[in-house]
Amino acid sequence: MNQEVFLAMPVFLISAFAVLIVVLDAVSGKNKTINFAFGIFSLLATAGAAIYTLTLQVPKLVNPADYHDIFTITKNTMVFSSYSAYFDILFSLAGILTMLASRSFISKGYHEYKEYYSIIILAVAGMVYISHANNLLMLFIGIELMSIMFYILSGYFRQRIESVESALKYFLLGSFASGFLLYGMALVYGATSSLELNVIAQFIAKNNFNATYLTFGIALLLIGLSFKIAAFPFHQWAPDVYQGAPTTVTAFMSTAGKAAAIFSFIIIAKALMPSFTNNAMRLVSTETMQMILAVLSAATMLIGNITAISQKNIKRMLAYSSVAHAGYMLMGVVANNQLGYDGIIFYATSYLFMQIGAFIVLSVLENKDSSNINLDNFTGLRKSNPYLAALMAIFMFSLAGLPPFAGFFGKYYLFLAAIQSGYTWLTIVAVISSVISVYFYIGLIVYMFFKDSDNPIAKAELKLSSVSLFVCLIGVLLFGFFPSLLMNLYAIIK
Amino acid sequence: MIETYLPLIIMLVFGFGIAVVFMLLSEWLGARRFTPGKVSTYESGMPPRGTARERFSVKFYMIAVSFIVFDVEVVFMYPWAVQLGTLGISAFIAMMFFIAILFAGYFWELRKGGLDWD
Amino acid sequence: MFNIFGIGPLTLITFLPLIGLLIILAIPAGKDEKARELSTNLYRWLTVGFTFLQLVIAIVIYMNFNNALPGINDANTMQFVEKTPWIQLHGLPIFGDLKIDYYVGIDGISAPMILLTAIVCFVATFASWSIKKAVKGFFMMYLLLDIGMMGVFISLDFFLFYVFWELMLLPMYFLIGIWGGPRKEYAAIKFFIYTLFGSVFMLLVMIGLWFTSGTFNLLDLANPANIRPDQIFSGFGTTWRLWAFVGLFVGFAIKVPTVPFHTWLPDAHVEAPTPISVILAGVLLKMGTYGMLRIAWPIFPEAVKYFQEWIALIGMVSIVYGALCALGQHKVGKRDLKKLIAYSSVSHMGYVMLGIASMTSAGVTGAIFQMFNHGTITAMLFMIVGVIYDRAHTRSMDDFGGLANKMPVYTGMMAISFFAAIGLPGMSGFVSEALVFLGAFATYPLYTVISGLGIVLGAAYMLWALQRVFFGKLPEKWSGPWDPSGKLYKHDDINGIELTALIPLAVVVIFLGIFPTYITNMMTESVNQLIHFVTVNGQFTGL
Repeated sequence: MNQEVFLAMPVFLISAFAVLIVVLDAVSGKNKTINFAFGIFSLLATAGAAIYTLTLQVPKLVNPADYHDIFTITKNTMVFSSYSAYFDILFSLAGILTMLASRSFISKGYHEYKEYYSIIILAVAGMVYISHANNLLMLFIGIELMSIMFYILSGYFRQRIESVESALKYFLLGSFASGFLLYGMALVYGATSSLELNVIAQFIAKNNFNATYLTFGIALLLIGLSFKIAAFPFHQWAPDVYQGAPTTVTAFMSTAGKAAAIFSFIIIAKALMPSFTNNAMRLVSTETMQMILAVLSAATMLIGNITAISQKNIKRMLAYSSVAHAGYMLMGVVANNQLGYDGIIFYATSYLFMQIGAFIVLSVLENKDSSNINLDNFTGLRKSNPYLAALMAIFMFSLAGLPPFAGFFGKYYLFLAAIQSGYTWLTIVAVISSVISVYFYIGLIVYMFFKDSDNPIAKAELKLSSVSLFVCLIGVLLFGFFPSLLMNLYAIIK
Repeated sequence: MIETYLPLIIMLVFGFGIAVVFMLLSEWLGARRFTPGKVSTYESGMPPRGTARERFSVKFYMIAVSFIVFDVEVVFMYPWAVQLGTLGISAFIAMMFFIAILFAGYFWELRKGGLDWD
Repeated sequence: MFNIFGIGPLTLITFLPLIGLLIILAIPAGKDEKARELSTNLYRWLTVGFTFLQLVIAIVIYMNFNNALPGINDANTMQFVEKTPWIQLHGLPIFGDLKIDYYVGIDGISAPMILLTAIVCFVATFASWSIKKAVKGFFMMYLLLDIGMMGVFISLDFFLFYVFWELMLLPMYFLIGIWGGPRKEYAAIKFFIYTLFGSVFMLLVMIGLWFTSGTFNLLDLANPANIRPDQIFSGFGTTWRLWAFVGLFVGFAIKVPTVPFHTWLPDAHVEAPTPISVILAGVLLKMGTYGMLRIAWPIFPEAVKYFQEWIALIGMVSIVYGALCALGQHKVGKRDLKKLIAYSSVSHMGYVMLGIASMTSAGVTGAIFQMFNHGTITAMLFMIVGVIYDRAHTRSMDDFGGLANKMPVYTGMMAISFFAAIGLPGMSGFVSEALVFLGAFATYPLYTVISGLGIVLGAAYMLWALQRVFFGKLPEKWSGPWDPSGKLYKHDDINGIELTALIPLAVVVIFLGIFPTYITNMMTESVNQLIHFVTVNGQFTGL
């Protein structure tokens, strides 16, 4: 059989499952467990298929200009690389972790509807399209599918004013950003007369394009994508949305969603930032774009970390820190070299484990109306929930980037990449901002461990969340102590 | 020159003629009764005047969204149907997938009672 | 060499506490009073057992240590070496493979530190008897800290060194923050941020060095032949290299701490519980100066030459300023005994800085010996403060006086440790300070003479403290027994557990005062090698 069928299997599977789970929802009546189990199963199957494709001969994310359309079924709308397959696994994993933690959480906060699981599967489907996109329209469809599911999910607690506010805010601003994105794509199409990224890259390599259109197109694309990853100055929505949305949803949005958005950044940058100097137009040259992205990245991490210091609400604090983490990941795009892209992979993975872990700890501790997630409420958590407090501390240390946890190596590779491409100043900014971030991460630990409280949060029931937490802990520790396990994964496979 | 457009002109004349004749016939022959509901402006079943910030049933939206979805589907299907001969079997399969996905959504809406008016 | 199941002695001594940690984790704390007491004792004695095993291994290492092998930059003369690949990335662009090894070994610089760590960790366990709150967590953190400290002293790979360096930060943060005094949160955060601030610049320098030499192996990094052209730290005496040295130096100087970076130390020491103060002063401060000798000096020899005089100046200022601050603790109303000792640490570590800046054989030997001696002497001092604090719940010297009659044995121990800290001949501190002055005088006579002031001031604040606490009239409130119920303290005097902690240290201090060669012989070859290496390579500079 055609090898392409196997390569495209993750995409086919997640699409089929996304449709099937909707049908299953329609016929399964009152039984919610079957939808839940089917959701988990479909994500596992997708991840399994992606792991299988890694064993096939897939290239790493090659330079799109060298990429030839050899695929007949998907007609060059998709690209199959080890990067895409890896991100498929990552998205599925995020979905699984979120679903496991969500079950008790959504029934605690509101009501368990089966659609919740369908929507998560659909969002993962959108992310998988992003990671395989070779066509700008495919990319757009993926981003939109993912974003629309996020709009719905963030308003899931529809009786709460904050949740509704977050959904509305996200929807309005998100659709505005989608407009930018689409207009940018149109201009890029106008400039190069193609929507396929490898063809665009070839046109750019041959200096065969309309420079004005391309410049504006790229600028608009950057704006749209910056919004999606919540980079400065388009980060304003993130704290409100992340705070208002249900906690498990925030976990999902701020990790998998961010990873997908940063991946779309990578594929756009790969095609539009060729690794040579282009003299036709100063603004399209790689150096200029790198510089713009570097400034964005530096501002993002500084703003995110400095603003997080003054937050009293833990969820909001983590939301701001998530903005800062987008800045760190942008460093890999700025570096625009193999090390940078590998660094993003590592960072996205470790960030997924630690951020989802931290949000899940929050989700099991918060009460019915999420009013007890201020710093003060966490006072004396050491006594009432010692294991959760210890887990939270580990995730905080990892987020702060301390060895021997996974977060440290993620930052380390990105620093390496940025220095290699000559952005030493960016690395110094990143280092300073991560020292700033330590203040609020360990500030939470001060509340949890060093202060005593008369009425700490009651002992939490973990249920299925414990599985998620355990996986997150293993991830943070394993990739912290043996980062080469992950970093050599695709090298060995290739 | 003008001969080539002759069929078109004839068609236009006939089209207009039939429309005008029917309108005049109904005007002359039809019986007429004026009721308040009948003389008011038609606005999708809603009172056309009054405050716009009024709450009304979500059912209208359900129907409207379903209508738009299937409307757009038909728009997609026209060019597809015209070009099906040249596009070949793969286009046929693709459209079947498209319809299947839409049908899944329709089925879900139906089962969840999205189309029940009461 | 002697290995157990293929595990070398250095791995064993470092990761032995991990077993203890896991055992403690597995033992439940117990629900009722009785079970709790039982488990508490179990945790204590397990920790004692594991730190004792560590001490035994350290002594075995000491016995088998070959004094004739210099080490420093020579991989063949490093001892007890173990090398296994840890993190390996293949096929990176430009640089090929990234290799980080689990590469450990010791030479004359690190061997005394291993011994010191083992001794201090063992005796500090006995000072932990006064910990009553969350005992399980305390001893787990304690053992984790132990792993981190040992790891720092055995690492010969920069990356490994960095990981241990940071690893040690986490338990320390919790130990101060949970079990500390009234201002523990402030002290813990201050300690954490200060140290982290230093170490991130170390991280940047480490990345830069990797680009320059393509390795993390400290011995290879020190070899100028490995420097590639056109990299960030290529060439000798360039601005980037000088900045890199400053970055490294600041990172280590914060830990020492030398004067501009010392403000975390009084807070951390005062707020930390007794055993942690002991470890902080006894071992952690040594990491800074050890890091300088192991990493900054051999890798940037020309920068050492360039900044040498400034470093000596910093050392001198630390000595005098630290002593003055300690003396300032005799001001009425703020007579904090623990703070006094904390500032005396700043002063005493200044001798180490002066010694290593001198780059003479006597000076550097004296500095390393001073590191060892300061570790044992300050450990004693902090334990002595801990003893009295546990009984009287105050550290203010105003509240004491005339304790000599009430606690004669205790007074004796305190006198030994205070005289050792002053540097009385016959005590180990005297030998090391004399060596430092001897060495430093050859290079920087003026600074050395001014530093001599530190000794005079040291005698002043120490003797004054001795007098305030022990002589004069016993205050009315301490005339009865310490604990009227008689449950906690049977006698007025120091008890057996505390003596167990103090006596070994006193023995070491006096023994080394009489026979210093038992330690100094270990390092002679290494120190000579280091000085030779740094001086020869320092010549490359165009400055």
